[in-house]
Amino acid sequence: MTNDSNTNTVSADATGLNEKQLFSFVEYQAEAAEETGYSEYSYWKSVWQNFLKKKAAVFMSCVFILLFAFTFVAGPIGNYKYDEIVPDQSQIFIQPNSQYWFGTDNLGRDYWCQVWYATQTSIKLSIIVAVGEIALGVMIGLVWGYVQKLDRFFTELYSILVNVPTIIYMTLVALMIGQSFKILVGTLILFGWMGSARLVRNLVLMYRDREYNLASRCLGTPMSRVLMRNILPYLTSVLILRLALSIPGAIGYETTLSYLGLGLGVDTPSLGILLRNARNYFLDFPYLLLFPAIIVSLITITFYLVGNAFSDACDPRNHV
Amino acid sequence: MVKYTIKRLLQSCITVLIVVTIVFLLLRLLPTDYYFTEEELMKLAPEQLNEQLEAAGLLDPPLVQLGRYYSQLAHFNLGTSRRIQTGVPVTQVIGGKFAISMRLGWISLAISVVAGMAYGVVQTMNKGRFWDHIGTAYTVFVRAVPSLVSYSLILILGSRYLGLPSMYSTRNVFLSSILPVVCLSMGSIAGYMLWTRRYMVDELNKDYIRLAKLKGMSTRSVMFKHVFKNAFVPLAQYLPQSILLVTGGSLLVERFFSVPGLGALLTDSISRYDLNLVQTLVMMYASMGIVGLFLGDVLMTLIDPRIRLLGREGTR
Repeated sequence: MTNDSNTNTVSADATGLNEKQLFSFVEYQAEAAEETGYSEYSYWKSVWQNFLKKKAAVFMSCVFILLFAFTFVAGPIGNYKYDEIVPDQSQIFIQPNSQYWFGTDNLGRDYWCQVWYATQTSIKLSIIVAVGEIALGVMIGLVWGYVQKLDRFFTELYSILVNVPTIIYMTLVALMIGQSFKILVGTLILFGWMGSARLVRNLVLMYRDREYNLASRCLGTPMSRVLMRNILPYLTSVLILRLALSIPGAIGYETTLSYLGLGLGVDTPSLGILLRNARNYFLDFPYLLLFPAIIVSLITITFYLVGNAFSDACDPRNHV
Repeated sequence: MVKYTIKRLLQSCITVLIVVTIVFLLLRLLPTDYYFTEEELMKLAPEQLNEQLEAAGLLDPPLVQLGRYYSQLAHFNLGTSRRIQTGVPVTQVIGGKFAISMRLGWISLAISVVAGMAYGVVQTMNKGRFWDHIGTAYTVFVRAVPSLVSYSLILILGSRYLGLPSMYSTRNVFLSSILPVVCLSMGSIAGYMLWTRRYMVDELNKDYIRLAKLKGMSTRSVMFKHVFKNAFVPLAQYLPQSILLVTGGSLLVERFFSVPGLGALLTDSISRYDLNLVQTLVMMYASMGIVGLFLGDVLMTLIDPRIRLLGREGTR
């Protein structure tokens, strides 16, 4: 309707028609009316579009996906298989060449397959840990914030866990249970949920007594439904940001722990273990440090940038 | 205020006690073999081992041991070290290492507070321009790259190109402390920069700043007389905590540069089952964390009298 009248107006100005012709009623069209009344705004679509505008973050996430895919390809295309490498005294500290693409380490083992295998391990570990941490944190945080009788209990639990250096728990676990991929994942999740739980708890406190939740409670909606349907959707964007940022956190923590000998066992190479092995030699053989360090930094910077870009994109004020 | 302080201190004591008890009981879950070196295990007969354990009171039920430990604590007796420095009182073992960690920690904290806040101010004054972006890039780098990697970079740069020693040594304390201090400060400089900038930028948009500018005050005096002072309040909250925490030393930095400080002592004492030492260290770290939090709250009320702790517990 607007289009027609506009063109009319324009031509009217030019041709000098009278007032009656200028302001004539347009026939009612249901479709056209709907078009103006209905906005095509969708929250997640806008988030996505805003995210795509951040070129650096998009580029880095492509690089990361390629990198992760490459870890599966890298093993088979290398000259040595990870399962078959053996220490060889005659081959130690060979600089990268066509035979050993990343050189060899202090025991004469091919570095290429170790680095890529380790990358895969570290990425898997950090993603599982980050997801687990957030999931556990959300569950505990929801209950902590919503059930006021338990507030005291969880606050005490929180302050006890937070105030003991985590390194103590990690050492005790490493000594008492042992060191393996599963154990490390388990302990990192078990002692890593506090941050996100606290965040969720504070957000739940903000939303729990809004009128619509009060109404829900009065109508007898079970607690689980109030939490899942009424409160959790508000937290999604915050949680995704948190997830993106805890992946570099988990990788960094894993490298630190493995360096201290509290992370994975020496026979499960992760980037931390490689960096630990490299510590004594990298002043003379920098390539031992270079390859794992570049890869690990690439991964962590990617998630950091993506997380920040995503949090900007989630802010409705940046939407159109 | 006094009543609140006492209540809060009592609560903290209880938390510390619970923490120590948990760690105490966890340590008693370990098999007794671990109390000896492999050599001792090979040489001594099981009876002799048992005798030694009994003499040390390690065969009693854990709860009896716990009761004994409490009564020791009540007499301020923290026991002696078993394996790290056999027979030496725990306080003495810790005391020696304490000085080293504390010196490194305090120097780096002083550097990072001054440098971090100063650069934060520079960033705010040049918001959206070159120096601001440089600072942001630095914070992203420090926060995103794992500390192990950045420490390695510093080590390579420092020892290859500047010829600084790569290990801490007691003979050349000054030169060999430089790299550890740089590593320790690097992360916290980024932290102070980030938060100084953030709080100052928040403050800049407030009405009273606009008024001050309209009155014709120069940008410089607005920045320092109004913006920085007010932005400092939330920053001050974390100062006591970080002072206490850096005193405890950094595990990773101390391992990385072989600094004989407190951080390395903790893992060593756990992996060598020096129980009294572990308990004392845990107690120390836990009380540092809790006391630091409390002092931070108090400091904040002192700087900004508008803030009151009463009425809302747990300002964390």
